[in-house]
Amino acid sequence: MRAYVRLELRRLARMPGLLIFAVLMPLLSYLLFTNLHGLTGQDRDVAATYTMVSMAGYGAIGALLNYASGVVVDRSIGWMRQLRLTPLSPVRVVVGKGLAAMVTAIVPVVALCVAGVLVNDVRLGPVQWLAIVPLLWFGALPFALLGLGMGYLATAQTVQPLNLLVYLGMSVVGGLWLPLDALPGWVAAVGRWLPTHAYADMSWQVAFGGSPTVTDLLTLAGWMVAFTGLAVVGFRRSVRSTASL
Amino acid sequence: MTNAAVQLTGLTKRFGALTAVDGLDLTIRRGEVVALLGPNGAGKSTTIDMLLGLQRPDAGTVLLDGQSPAKAIAKGTVGALLQSGGLLPDLTAGETVRLTAALQQRSRPVRDVLDRAGVTEFANQRVGGLSGGQQQRIRFAMALVADPELLVLDEPTTGMDVETRRGFWTTMRQETAQGRTVLFATHYLDEADAYADRIVLLRAGQVIADGTAAQIKAAVTGRTIRATLPGADLVGLAALPGVDRVETRGDVVMLHCDDSDTALRSLLSSTDAHDVEVTARNLEDAFIALTAAGSSK
Repeated sequence: MRAYVRLELRRLARMPGLLIFAVLMPLLSYLLFTNLHGLTGQDRDVAATYTMVSMAGYGAIGALLNYASGVVVDRSIGWMRQLRLTPLSPVRVVVGKGLAAMVTAIVPVVALCVAGVLVNDVRLGPVQWLAIVPLLWFGALPFALLGLGMGYLATAQTVQPLNLLVYLGMSVVGGLWLPLDALPGWVAAVGRWLPTHAYADMSWQVAFGGSPTVTDLLTLAGWMVAFTGLAVVGFRRSVRSTASL
Repeated sequence: MTNAAVQLTGLTKRFGALTAVDGLDLTIRRGEVVALLGPNGAGKSTTIDMLLGLQRPDAGTVLLDGQSPAKAIAKGTVGALLQSGGLLPDLTAGETVRLTAALQQRSRPVRDVLDRAGVTEFANQRVGGLSGGQQQRIRFAMALVADPELLVLDEPTTGMDVETRRGFWTTMRQETAQGRTVLFATHYLDEADAYADRIVLLRAGQVIADGTAAQIKAAVTGRTIRATLPGADLVGLAALPGVDRVETRGDVVMLHCDDSDTALRSLLSSTDAHDVEVTARNLEDAFIALTAAGSSK
């Protein structure tokens, strides 16, 4: 499986578009949001930290959804079928794809944290950094599974719009663009229970001196179970009928 | 170890109302080179998919050297080249084959295999920019890299030009000289005739003939009489003794006969037929006769 993951990473290096999209968009948004006119003093410091976490998460989720749902391409061109002729089992293919996807997620997280420190003078303690980076990285795992699920269930034509809808929808409603407090009440009520919110809130809590809440952990775990189910269903369906790959 | 290289028993696959493979039995001994021949829709690809474990049969079993296809593939004792198997356009030809080698428990030296399959000259080029024939050679290299005992090839020379096709079969000959078992599907009769020890003819998911090329030709006995006969009375011709079936092409009539001597006597005495030729049927005739028979019933 190591050979397969290496290969996936090599492919990734050859399509830099995906990472540019996943890093550049949130990075520019971050620098824009936090340097708006009239944002000064403590407000600005809070915004710089808060938005650093939001946009790091936004980038990580984007990278994962985009990369993992790319499995639809491997299916439609018959690459999955070709792999079935090798000893690499379908389960290892999907795990390998997931692992490679997780590698992509670290890039926007690191980029945003570095920008936070260098450009916006974000100051956190070493323990906070040691918590936030892994939380933003590994906490995004459910989105890798969601991406895989979509990649196995959607078709090459439907996957892009579906991806964008889910990505933007969950990011906006989950409070990654604007804090939930700034959203209409009923939107915030829904957003509170989205995986995007639970995921980012773990790091917001740490960044402002707290620790992840039980609600965050349970919410994210619940979604993790649901997304795993989705990925397993899609994966099983695709393996059963390799003919239609 | 006396297991057959391939043992298909009662293999059946349905797609809705269509029965693609219909209770197919086939045993292939070690070292045999077998062509699976049949028109489009005869069930060749579906049979191969089930043989490789890519599709689950609705009924019947597949044993490759006494094992399930999944086990055989995991052990690397089966190599396959599928038309429908896709390659990643962003990898180079060499990387693609090296990956396949790295996934195997044991593999031949990649350089060697690239050479044999004729991939070396474009090994550093991205797959996306290569022709269909070149991609087919990459698939061939992938099939060979584990040094498999059984090679399964689905229409292997599709997309290759004449020169490349010849080169491909020369390599195949060398590969089978080492005692490898080969099963290849094709719709090129000349390939089946030239390269297979044994031809299995499929129609509507069933084996309708199985033997050497000579045996299959013989199974369709008889000869064809060709003559020029303007305004021929087709019904009358078909009623001549020894005549099986009549066709016309313009002024030329073709009498497919089971007893051409008797038919010829009557033809010459009862009509003005001239420019008469009598020919034995070739494999193509046998193929058409066998695959068409029964489709009208």
